Amino acid sequence: MGPVQLNEIKTVSYERAEVKKGYTDRSLHIDLTGNDIRIDPVDAAVKDKFVGGKGYDLWFMWQAVKGIKKWNDPENALCISAGPLGGTPGYPGGGKSIVTTISPLTGAPIDSNVGGYFGPYKKFSGFDVITLTGKADQDVVILIDGIESQIKIFSASDLPDNAYELADALTRYFDGEKPVNVSVVTAGPGAENTYFGCLNFSWYDSGRKRVRYKQAGRGGTGTVLADKKIKAVVARYGAVSMKSNQPADLDALKTVTKTHAKEIHELDGKQNRMSLVGTTHLVPIMNDHDCLPTHNFKFGSHPEAAVIGEDVYEHIFDKGFDGCWRGCAVACSHGVKDFSPFTGPFKGTRVFVDGPEYETVAGCGSNLGIFDAHTILEINFYCDAYGLDTISVGTSIGFVMECFENGLITTEHTGGLELNFGNRYGTLELIHQMARGEGFGAIVGKGIRQMKQIFADTFHADPNFMQDIGMESKGLEFSEYITKESLAQQGGYGLALKGPQHDEAWLIFLDMVHNFMPTFENKAEALHWFPMFRTWFSLCGLCKLPWNDIVPEDNKDSKEPAKVMKHVQWYADFFSAITGKKTTPDDLITMSEAVYNFQRIFNLKMGYGTREHDTLPYRAMGPVTVEEYESRQERYDKQLTDTYGMDISGMDTSARVAALRKEREAQYEQLKDAVYDRRGWTRNGIPTRETVQRLGIDFPEVLEVLAANGVQ
Amino acid sequence: MIQVNDQPVEWKPGMTVADVLKQMPDVRLCSVVRLNGKLISSPRFDDTRIPDNAVIHLLPLVAGG
Repeated sequence: MGPVQLNEIKTVSYERAEVKKGYTDRSLHIDLTGNDIRIDPVDAAVKDKFVGGKGYDLWFMWQAVKGIKKWNDPENALCISAGPLGGTPGYPGGGKSIVTTISPLTGAPIDSNVGGYFGPYKKFSGFDVITLTGKADQDVVILIDGIESQIKIFSASDLPDNAYELADALTRYFDGEKPVNVSVVTAGPGAENTYFGCLNFSWYDSGRKRVRYKQAGRGGTGTVLADKKIKAVVARYGAVSMKSNQPADLDALKTVTKTHAKEIHELDGKQNRMSLVGTTHLVPIMNDHDCLPTHNFKFGSHPEAAVIGEDVYEHIFDKGFDGCWRGCAVACSHGVKDFSPFTGPFKGTRVFVDGPEYETVAGCGSNLGIFDAHTILEINFYCDAYGLDTISVGTSIGFVMECFENGLITTEHTGGLELNFGNRYGTLELIHQMARGEGFGAIVGKGIRQMKQIFADTFHADPNFMQDIGMESKGLEFSEYITKESLAQQGGYGLALKGPQHDEAWLIFLDMVHNFMPTFENKAEALHWFPMFRTWFSLCGLCKLPWNDIVPEDNKDSKEPAKVMKHVQWYADFFSAITGKKTTPDDLITMSEAVYNFQRIFNLKMGYGTREHDTLPYRAMGPVTVEEYESRQERYDKQLTDTYGMDISGMDTSARVAALRKEREAQYEQLKDAVYDRRGWTRNGIPTRETVQRLGIDFPEVLEVLAANGVQ
Repeated sequence: MIQVNDQPVEWKPGMTVADVLKQMPDVRLCSVVRLNGKLISSPRFDDTRIPDNAVIHLLPLVAGG
């Protein structure tokens, strides 16, 4: 790799806005079409209603995408914000960035919450939020330099195209003496050539003296960055302390930070041990509870799952501090050093792999029938370097493998690849093809929704079977949990605003294991409170893991243990300490509710956001095939007889599959009704006028969208 | 003797994880324990025997990814 060569094509010097109580009250807008750079104040009413983070992103996106209908229209905006609490060193999970854009996969807003230092550095450089619109006519790199108080746009050529080398090169280029001052957002060639490109957000790991990264994975945010010809966005900033946010009450901030961090230090080792194993502890737990996706979500467990769980990765992970933000006590961002890939452009070299996390292990391991920790590492490495979302990659290839094994597609379609479950080389070859935009990989890179259409139209595959087994909803591939036995989590996926990602609600154990919400009303209440509270983390620039993955020892004695209310109170205290607004736990829910409903209406504005779009493939609800049914026959027979009162003695397995399906699909529709009622939506899934008025988002343009969809 | 959440509990031959949990107050949300550092999930509580001097921690409610 030669020296980085960038040519400055636009420079704007600015007066850096001081951060006060978590906010700079400034937004930065960069339109690549004309290299226009604009800094605007953030209106007080916007601040009050949208809070920050995802709320700001959505508001500024709404302004930008007035007339567009396609993700690759130049007007599409890619927005990044850190939220008022983001950038608090020492507060566990206190440095997240939130990215939104119109998704290439769904055509509607997508949001992704990601670690790395970019969000805080951007804010301390003077901007609560940045919006990137337009398209450059050549590859560009954008620098937000909070030390020099300058915004620069460079033309870029001959840069490394993979994120692994590019982030490292730019970090050293922009501050070779203090690389810790730099954070880089990059995508990669896979993002250019697929619809599920991710963004890599970097930080400099001073202990290991190397650039590390986390991913804003879902929905194609990297694809949008690549479409705008942005090779990288770089933030540069200097020292950060607890005073950097200029909190309203520094002592209160220190107290709540110390309290929460101390608890995690004391209890993580006794609980999930995330500081040692990340989220790989979930692999054996999900496997034991029949929730680990295996063979395209057909089954929930596999005898070999033990070899891809925490027992293995704990010994492979490199020892050392692994926080993706400064001083984070959870420190779950583990990696593997000196890994040597056996395929692709890095074959035979030694690389550092950031990961894997549970989702990657499940999606690119068990779901593909790959029970080999090292192959999963290689998939993880190439997905990151190419800028590919490991969840969409794993779920999409799982779909392809099941189609292949059922003869819906053959080697004639796959370019000779025998894509049976367990094919490690075939999987890696597909990923290399996706990155190059070549061969069958180019088709897979369009995602499951488009594959279903292509396979049906071009390969004459059975569309109904593909609809049942293609694990996507709203166009987004499922994240990695089996939901067949949890109606609440079916709602958690199917009713999620952006598509089936678990960051809105994860209710499987409460529902399936503990039977904590037996009625539709119970489930609807959970599908109100949990999505609202989880949304709040993305309004503020925080990670959700410290909330409920390490819990107080007396939590089980509390009134509502599932909500971990002691921590919710700490978050309210955290918000009060930074912003100076006296805040209660209930206030956090209200903040989120306004933004949540606004996002739903944004979906509506883009032509979605109604009941018909809250659908699920049947495999998310129950057994599609005779093979699936018979693998858990005792369970399903018992439900038909005991729960539904059927006499099944004369029914063959196919008839039982059909009978169970009828019941489960009806239940899901009933759940939708209950959730819509609880959220203050019409039975078509649209917020009512009363709801938007109650939440204070009854802006004229919101009411116009509602009226255009029959809500007066 | 074994340790359960840092408290001593008398050990008996053949004792299982399920047996221990029956002695504990309010374990309704416990679906996973660590037995000498290893994860044991609720479907295996009945079959998993506890050795003497074991250290057990009850994990909090599983909260997903």
